[in-house]
Amino acid sequence: MAERLIELYQIKTYFPQKKSLMGRVRAWVKAVDDVSLNVFRGECLGLVGESGCGKSTLGRTLLKLAPLTSGKICYDGTEIQHLADNGFQLFRPKMQMVFQDPRASLNPKMTVLQIISEALAICPSIGVKEYVQRATELLNMVDLRPEHLFRYPHEFSGGQQQRICIARALATRPEFIVFDEATSALDVSVQAQIINLMTNLQEQLKLTYLFISHDLSIMEHICHRVAVMYAGRIMEIQDSNALFASPRHPYTKALRDAVPVADPTRRGQMAILGGEVPSLLQPPEGCRFHPRCKHATVRCRKEAPREDKIKPGNWVRCHYHQQLQHQADQYR
Amino acid sequence: MLRVEGLEVDFRGSRGTYRILEGVDFSLYPGEVLALVGETGCGKSVTAKTILNLIPRLSQQRKGVVRFDGKNLLKLSNKSLGRMRGKSITMIFQNPQSSINPVFTLGEQIFRLIRMYLQDEIDTLCRRRNMKANAAIRRIARDKLAEVGLIDAGRLLKAYAHEISGGMAQRYKIAQALLSSPEILIADEATSALDVTVQAHILKLLKELSLKKRTAILFITHDMGIAAQICERVAVMYSGRIVEIGATLDIFQKPLHPYTRGLLDAVPRLGNVEPLKYVAGMIPDLANPPAGCRFHPRCRHAMAVCRLKKPENIEKGEGHLVACHMYGTSLSRK
Amino acid sequence: METLDFNKIARKAIQDHRNERVYLFRLFLKKKLAVFSAFVLVSIMLAAVFAPWVAPYPDQGKGSVNLEDRLQPFSRKHLLGTDTYGRDLLSRAIYGGRISVFGGFFIVLMAALIGVPLGLWAGYREGVSGAVIMRTAELVLSFPSVLVAMGVSIVVGAGSITALVALIIPWWPWYTRLVQGEVLSIKNMLYVEAAQMLGYGRIYILFRHLLPNILTPVIVMMMLDIGPAIIAIGVLSFLGLGTQAPSADWGLMVWEGAPNILGEWWIAIVPGFAMFLLVTAFNIFGDTLKDILDPN
Repeated sequence: MAERLIELYQIKTYFPQKKSLMGRVRAWVKAVDDVSLNVFRGECLGLVGESGCGKSTLGRTLLKLAPLTSGKICYDGTEIQHLADNGFQLFRPKMQMVFQDPRASLNPKMTVLQIISEALAICPSIGVKEYVQRATELLNMVDLRPEHLFRYPHEFSGGQQQRICIARALATRPEFIVFDEATSALDVSVQAQIINLMTNLQEQLKLTYLFISHDLSIMEHICHRVAVMYAGRIMEIQDSNALFASPRHPYTKALRDAVPVADPTRRGQMAILGGEVPSLLQPPEGCRFHPRCKHATVRCRKEAPREDKIKPGNWVRCHYHQQLQHQADQYR
Repeated sequence: MLRVEGLEVDFRGSRGTYRILEGVDFSLYPGEVLALVGETGCGKSVTAKTILNLIPRLSQQRKGVVRFDGKNLLKLSNKSLGRMRGKSITMIFQNPQSSINPVFTLGEQIFRLIRMYLQDEIDTLCRRRNMKANAAIRRIARDKLAEVGLIDAGRLLKAYAHEISGGMAQRYKIAQALLSSPEILIADEATSALDVTVQAHILKLLKELSLKKRTAILFITHDMGIAAQICERVAVMYSGRIVEIGATLDIFQKPLHPYTRGLLDAVPRLGNVEPLKYVAGMIPDLANPPAGCRFHPRCRHAMAVCRLKKPENIEKGEGHLVACHMYGTSLSRK
Repeated sequence: METLDFNKIARKAIQDHRNERVYLFRLFLKKKLAVFSAFVLVSIMLAAVFAPWVAPYPDQGKGSVNLEDRLQPFSRKHLLGTDTYGRDLLSRAIYGGRISVFGGFFIVLMAALIGVPLGLWAGYREGVSGAVIMRTAELVLSFPSVLVAMGVSIVVGAGSITALVALIIPWWPWYTRLVQGEVLSIKNMLYVEAAQMLGYGRIYILFRHLLPNILTPVIVMMMLDIGPAIIAIGVLSFLGLGTQAPSADWGLMVWEGAPNILGEWWIAIVPGFAMFLLVTAFNIFGDTLKDILDPN
């Protein structure tokens, strides 16, 4: 049984909106609304969803960059959500993040060496004298050269900048890295390079990843399991090959079918999902997806579906997923 | 209908002259959807903007011909080109909300366009249905918005740019762009900023409208999937030049240019779990591009001639052109 | 795979980098315009400091009258001519530089020293204190600067030092507004978030990430402000609230020479040109400084 590195239990992250003059909060943006999830050691868990579904917020909540409203977070068996800054600082070196826009993630006035040293400084075990050596080592790991240490971020291309960010993330010898849309701003071939780099590093250094993206197609190349998020909730989570071959949740199906396939012989299969992305201020009652779901019933409108387990680590949140699966099988 | 020949654009920048485009050639036929694919920095946006002369002329030197409607667009005066823009050739951009004037309502902006281009329709409605001009304009606006799938037009016309979603904004821009029934619509990364489900809608919409109104679309994108799904022909661009152009099926199934092959290999596809292959190296520095074929430093098949001479466009199969020395050195026509 | 000796690689990289830095300094020296402007600035400042030794007629510079040689154009005895009281203009310009150059510099520096931290606070912490700062800044900005300074001078009593201090008051809000705007936009940048992810606190982020990135526009503003500051000192002096005649001050000299502009034009032009020289030198120097500071 794989070991659970991160356990999330009923995580909610709400942001206050519109304070009245007295300071009472009138409405909340429910960015993450009751998410329970486990990340197993050594796996790459994908988190996919469209804009505004809360996936980035979930990633940030894990690293205490977004305020947790309620719920439990366990790291390697220890509860960490209640820890103050001092206590949490012990965990920080183990959990790192690579952000979306590499250009904005690097301080333009700092050299690469300074940027990496900033990360090294939070590790008590590394002395200042070793910074340059360790930084050289890190750059080598991400296929950059030692002379790059003294250059400024703007002298590098997007792909190289992202590598610097990855080197910074690796500086503290983390066990867990969150990639928040880390390849979305990159060209296709650069993206391929970075993904390959990430996969190699994961194997070499025995890392655990949370890979957040809106691009379904890369998920299969790097993730072992994929979670689909919609309107602040996880709709489905399955092993990646199973998810794409036979998605159980109607939203996952719609998402998969909406991706333009790079194969001109398979045309006309883009299914169109009606409606708009729901507002997180007033999300739909019951199943979040019901306003746009072809198969929605009264039950879907009233009752939020619970996690229905398919196999260990795989579950779906839909009242009718079994019937729908049955129907789909019949058509084969 | 639109023929671009030998388009060269140079910019004078801080480090000397940047040769952004070095000889772009392609044609756009009536009613077809042509994809212009390439990665960042290949010059696809610059090509589109040069056709419509949206780039400030000061720091730029241009050579070549852009033939449209019997004229060379590059030599037209600003005034004549201005009349053509928005009427015969229109454009939609990546960020729809930023290309809508934030100070006026959506209604005000589209009414103005209707008054500019659809005067006959207004007159017809006024005469036949005995409508006042303003009512006629509103009616036309509603119809046009409905065509792009925006049915709650009443509310929309009173809204401002920041109040609507990206998907709605892009539909609105498409409605505006197609008002004058242009012959050509240029879409510059028009769906890159949209969610994938919204993108599917917009792509389907564009394809339908193109067929219905016989509008040719030049779709600039970095997404090979979009090219595969809605385009009849694909032009692959690399560092200022079209390296391969042909029917979509040919490009995907029989890619000739090594860059095209590399690009296709790097595209992640659902259902395919092989590790992604990619082309090593980086795009060339435009201030100091490689001699000869700009791709040769990254090309596995590079030969001596690739370093010396720029490849010409060679025809290999019907309408399938490739610029690579591997396929001979002369233009062989049937 | 052979294991690389990172220690050795690291040391070589540092060595290469040191060699490169010397090269960059030489590059600066090559920018002739920048060096020339720096030279001009330093000369003017040195002349002002050592005025009693540099000026040909130090007493006249300080204000003593020499009615015999009134209203003389350029001559060998008086290189830049004399004014209505016969005082040597070259000496007056040099002495005037004392107030003008250092005064202008002083005003701008103090305004920045006050305005920038306030702006940092208002931008970073926001909240009630931030709002108070911004509203105060806006209030001060809504009055014409010279009037404010005049008011202060009248209350406290006229004099060159008073004028300088009085001018700081209308000047600092510009910096606060500039800095607050910059901080608001940088605050949300991902590199700030990256530092937060590493666990760094607010103070560290303020000094290490925010401050260096707002420095460039601040320095540019300072350079551009010195000219207007010098002129403002002159205006106050003309109104009798700043430098008291017969002391020299460029602004005052311009106003003193204005009535004779059609005839003995040099009386007003000489100090005006001095101002022009200084401001231009500062601007060019500031530009190069910006290019050096800003690796972009």
